[in-house]
Amino acid sequence: MVSDPDAALMVAFRGGDESAFRALFEKHGRAMVAFCRRFTRDPSRAEELAQDVFLKVYRSADGYEPTARFTTFLYRIATNHCLNEVRRARRDPQPGHDPRADDGAPLDPDALPSTGASPEDEATGRALERSVERLLARLPENQRAAFVLCRFQGLSYEDIAQVLGVTVPAVKSLVHRATVAAAEALAPFAGGEGAAA
Amino acid sequence: MTARVPSDPHVVEDLTALADGALPPDRRAAVEAHLAGCPACRERRAALAAALAVLAAAPRPPEPLPGFEQRFYARLAREKGARRGWLTRLAARPRRWLVPAGGLAAAAAVIAVGVLQVREDRMEMARHLDLLEDYVAIASLDAVESAEDVEVVLQLDRLEGRP
Repeated sequence: MVSDPDAALMVAFRGGDESAFRALFEKHGRAMVAFCRRFTRDPSRAEELAQDVFLKVYRSADGYEPTARFTTFLYRIATNHCLNEVRRARRDPQPGHDPRADDGAPLDPDALPSTGASPEDEATGRALERSVERLLARLPENQRAAFVLCRFQGLSYEDIAQVLGVTVPAVKSLVHRATVAAAEALAPFAGGEGAAA
Repeated sequence: MTARVPSDPHVVEDLTALADGALPPDRRAAVEAHLAGCPACRERRAALAAALAVLAAAPRPPEPLPGFEQRFYARLAREKGARRGWLTRLAARPRRWLVPAGGLAAAAAVIAVGVLQVREDRMEMARHLDLLEDYVAIASLDAVESAEDVEVVLQLDRLEGRP
């Protein structure tokens, strides 16, 4: 048994406590939307995909064993689901819809929360977000998964290794290569030329 | 950790893990010792650190629209309802299957009895093949015209002393 409050909630849910599942969703649901958005680069489907992930968690409760951290279990489901979605979208592109064409811009600019920043700072922020989206679009799937899990979801190398089913040294290499690519892509925002490689 | 080309004295592959605090203590010490004497690796570390700082400052994706949790709970309720309905239908299926299944079983029984009956008739016919041959031979002579003639044919065995 892993000492993990979320795993304990999942065990409680497995025992029939629906409120434990709600607690897990309310803790991780919004971060899951962000993960799905960044992984699939499809803002229009991110919420639906995040819902799919939690429905899978709901259905898999009977077979859940707390052998690892709950986030490992959660993001393993999410990564597989998003990978399937990315591959499905590549095989069966929707007419008139190409997530890459979104180029990181939100579907509805009015939906962006006001940060109180100056218009210049907001413009820089949007340009940076677009650069991050372009970077993610260029990364191979395994690098993108490791990079998003590490940089945006805050998972450790060990947890990422469990999520992706690879070794920790493999994660170290995936994260490093993606970070080198990020250094090149984001150099204009860092005031440097990105000589990390 | 990661295997490096022995001829490469630099520690580039370890720089990201160093920034992430993911190196074991002994490796961390070795990398930092190398950095102290290697301007090229220090420059690479600085570029990586700058990129990580930019990423940390990147705007978060927009929050889901209001009602995010409620939309999920509504979908969850629909899925649970659909699942219950599916299970109910599944449970009801055996009863609905009884009618066609019973009909099929009855039809199979009738066919089996029929097949057995036909088989029995054929066996009976085979047992009395001689008699049948006699009947056909006599009928071909137009000798069988009445029920009494048939009775005579039926008695031929006995009349001829056959077993």
